[in-house]
Amino acid sequence: MNITGLLAWRNLWRHSRRTWLTVGAMVFCNTLLVFLIAIQLGSYRMMIDNTLSAFTGHLQVQHLGYLEEQKMRQTVPEAAALASRLAEEPHVEATAARAVTFALASSEQRSFGIQLTGVQPALETQVSSYPGLVSRGRYLQQGDDAAIVLGSILARNLKVAPGDEVTLLGSGYDGSVAAGVATVVGIIDSGLAEVDRGVAQAPLAWFQQVFALGDRAHSVVLRLDDVNRAPMLVPQIQASLPVGESLVALDWDQLQPGLREAIRSDMVSAWFMYGVLIVLVALSVLNTQLMSVLERTREFGVMLALGLRPQRLGRLVLLETIFLGLIGLLLGVALGALVVLYFDAYGFSYPGMAEAAARFNLPPRIYPQVSLLSLFLGPLTVFLGALLAAVYPALRLLRLQPVAAMRAV
Amino acid sequence: MGAGISRLAWRNLWRNRRRTLIMLAAVAVGVWAMVFMSAMMRGMVDEMVRSGLEQLPGMVQIHQRAYRDDPSVVNSMPSPEGTLQAALAEPPVTAWAARVRVPAMVASARASRGLTLLGVDPAAERALGSVPPTISEGRFLEDEHDRGVVLGQRLVERLESDLGKRVVIMSQDPQNDVADRGVRVVGIYKARLPGDEERFAYAGRAALQELLQVPGQVSEVAVMATDYRRPQALVEHLARAAGPQLEVLPWTELDPFLSSMLDLQDGFSLVFMVVVFLALSFGLVNTLAMAVFERIREIGLMQALGMRPGLILRQVLLESLYLLLLGLAVGNGAAWLTIKPLESGIELSSVARGMEMFAMGATLYPALYWRDMVLATVVVLGLGVLASLIPAWRAARLDPIRALNSH
Amino acid sequence: MSAIHCRDLCKTFHQGEEEITGLDHVSLDIEAGSFVALVGPSGSGKTTLLNAMGGLDRPDSGEIVLGDTRIDTLDQGELADLRLNRIGFVFQSYNLVPVLSARENVEFVMQLQGVGAQERAARAEAVLAEIGLEGLSGRRPAELSGGQQQRVAVARAIASEPQLILADEPTANLDSHSATQLMELFVHLNREHKVTFVMATHDTRVMRYARRVVSLQDGRIESDQRTPEAVE
Repeated sequence: MNITGLLAWRNLWRHSRRTWLTVGAMVFCNTLLVFLIAIQLGSYRMMIDNTLSAFTGHLQVQHLGYLEEQKMRQTVPEAAALASRLAEEPHVEATAARAVTFALASSEQRSFGIQLTGVQPALETQVSSYPGLVSRGRYLQQGDDAAIVLGSILARNLKVAPGDEVTLLGSGYDGSVAAGVATVVGIIDSGLAEVDRGVAQAPLAWFQQVFALGDRAHSVVLRLDDVNRAPMLVPQIQASLPVGESLVALDWDQLQPGLREAIRSDMVSAWFMYGVLIVLVALSVLNTQLMSVLERTREFGVMLALGLRPQRLGRLVLLETIFLGLIGLLLGVALGALVVLYFDAYGFSYPGMAEAAARFNLPPRIYPQVSLLSLFLGPLTVFLGALLAAVYPALRLLRLQPVAAMRAV
Repeated sequence: MGAGISRLAWRNLWRNRRRTLIMLAAVAVGVWAMVFMSAMMRGMVDEMVRSGLEQLPGMVQIHQRAYRDDPSVVNSMPSPEGTLQAALAEPPVTAWAARVRVPAMVASARASRGLTLLGVDPAAERALGSVPPTISEGRFLEDEHDRGVVLGQRLVERLESDLGKRVVIMSQDPQNDVADRGVRVVGIYKARLPGDEERFAYAGRAALQELLQVPGQVSEVAVMATDYRRPQALVEHLARAAGPQLEVLPWTELDPFLSSMLDLQDGFSLVFMVVVFLALSFGLVNTLAMAVFERIREIGLMQALGMRPGLILRQVLLESLYLLLLGLAVGNGAAWLTIKPLESGIELSSVARGMEMFAMGATLYPALYWRDMVLATVVVLGLGVLASLIPAWRAARLDPIRALNSH
Repeated sequence: MSAIHCRDLCKTFHQGEEEITGLDHVSLDIEAGSFVALVGPSGSGKTTLLNAMGGLDRPDSGEIVLGDTRIDTLDQGELADLRLNRIGFVFQSYNLVPVLSARENVEFVMQLQGVGAQERAARAEAVLAEIGLEGLSGRRPAELSGGQQQRVAVARAIASEPQLILADEPTANLDSHSATQLMELFVHLNREHKVTFVMATHDTRVMRYARRVVSLQDGRIESDQRTPEAVE
């Protein structure tokens, strides 16, 4: 082994209790960071997945301006054909056309203003989570005509159950009064109040007929093989759209701007907390290394007298810190990984979390993200912080004069 | 002897000035972070609760028993009178409003939207603080007989309507017949959360009662009182006055998200403080252990001179206590200095749509609470002295002969 | 050729308000292969002179030439290289690196010189054997006696094959037996390896071995005596 390395390693254990306490601070911090970051990334991923599968999909094709104005007349022509064509594009796993309007839904006893979505039953199953959330009755099927599925709270408010009829009253594409009667075939119970209060879906073909849309719809929803690919895929999808129809491809970030902003604002407060922990660990390392440098002043003076260049002393101290940091890093990651794997198997929850989580489309138990990033991001930052903290003690050594140093006690 | 010990401890603390200053910085940073983070969280939750209470509105609501499951005009209640009205006139009630709240459709010539239509008495709503914060065009309702509607900015855009234009409101009367009426948009409002602009429309209460053929009937009574953290006593008082037909509920049950945020926040503050302290504690124990290690001979000498172990223990603990107290003073002071200028609000408009998911406006008002500073102080002092016991105990148990001969 | 040439060296120290004269116009020539003792009471300037010759400390004025190199004008890095390659130091209190074994202490300087690992180990063992420490090379300083530690320090000094060894009170912490052994080792090295020795001391045992005794007082050379018949 290289003598400087050897020297650094052995120096570390001259005060083994002090070294372990410093390593302990790092391990504590690293374990905590691994856990928190894994939970954080895990919940972001779940929040994105749940939100996108419930509402917008990964990517949509819409009429220019529809996102802001949501006018009935801002349509995608020949939507079903476009959907099946876009399904052939690379990285696109599934597509479905949707049409949306607002209508007054009336049952025997009650009336509510609702947002009604026309969907392609067979295709919708592949892009959305709703079909899997039917608690009573069934989801829409190929061949359904005047059928409708409703969110559980909406169904309760309307006092309807599968088999009952709902009258829908709204305005058609041409501005005329549109009216239709549909039979409730299923109830969707997602556990998310916003969804259960609002969702109402009917087959697209029937929707187009009732609201005089012809072959038009309002969006084509795309699900990709990887949600992170959405921004890169926008130009490709955009290029494949028919020209002259003012259609735009929008990724989920444009469709759900709140999502990324919520994540960003959460990230700021999380990193504030991580930053504090890292600063505290760095101060702890600074203290230890400064003490260890000061108490060896005499020894360093001798080394300088023997002809060691001061820079090498600085490097020695940095090397000691690297060893210190590596022990902290490895133990922290190992311990953190154990904690994360435990929660990966059993899920993480605490009292009161369920209500808060539902607001962000999160289930009551969160599963951490197990990845190299989630395991190493925090500990590596701590490692860098520790190295940075050792710079001051190391720099002090550059000014050390051999004679004065040897005279030190 | 006590004074002597404390002077000795104080001087010992400054024997290695650099080390003490670093540890002091660590304690101060830790305490600052504890208080600063708590103030941010308090500000956030206070804001959530404040806007939540405005939106509900009120700290307590009174409904007909079936209303919450079936928010239809069928499940209306009579306007408060008699004992209920008397109870609402007493403290701690500060304001109350009876309102008609029904699901409705609003349609223009171009489009239609479903929303919640509120039939209100403007004066009572103003006292309650539940009128929209900004009227961007036109005016708010004049009184409960006002036959106009006030719509949100975004809704007006979606409907392609405008101030002074007519829209049709459609809702259901108790016979389940659709009641509709063309009304004029007399005002356009902006809400703190832009999403609300599409969710709520305001009409005169009496005018709406007339349209729905429910004279004198309201959907809910919203009550504001002095302390939102303790609505339970008021709920019981009002429930007795309201009688068994009516349901009286506090906001904590009306909006479980809000109350869970409030609980989570209290718990989170404490957890954060303890975690920060634990990160600090390694350095604290280390610093004290080093200080003891350097002074082994000296401590041995003191013991040889007849100083009792208890006194040595106290001396090391005192040294730690001084360090912690100084760190607390600096940390709390720094927190106060950094939060005070921020109390006028931190602009978050770049993530406004994200904040809306947290039910928050685009400005965060940090709130420095004395009890957070006290809590941080208690956590740091309590756990700090506990952690210092380890090195102090070791110092007190040194064997004087071996200590004197060390090095 | 002289090993060391000093001309007109001056050095003042400041201790609080006081000014202390370290060196006061000292000029001295030391020939290659000589064995010199600098003597004088503490504060006389012998350590200051030794440090100046070794490039550890810079004089305020004057000129020092080591072999053919003027050293008082070199920067810190150049001085470090000079010390590393041409000078060996032996200090009063041994000053071994406590976490390294005897052999590793000896190897340390060679490693800084960039000597390969195998040659390093071989030379370290050879040097330790030459000074009578075979079998102890694996011990850490704390496991060696004072005399043994000082021998390791000497081994460390000569392992880099310097032309000059500077020793500051090398015997001060040694019993007389160890001191005699150490001086005999010095004489042996001086003879066999032609290494120049300059020692600062006030130990009469050391002075007896010196072939030239330079006596300092208040930073000035008081006397300079050559004793060709030093103790054999």
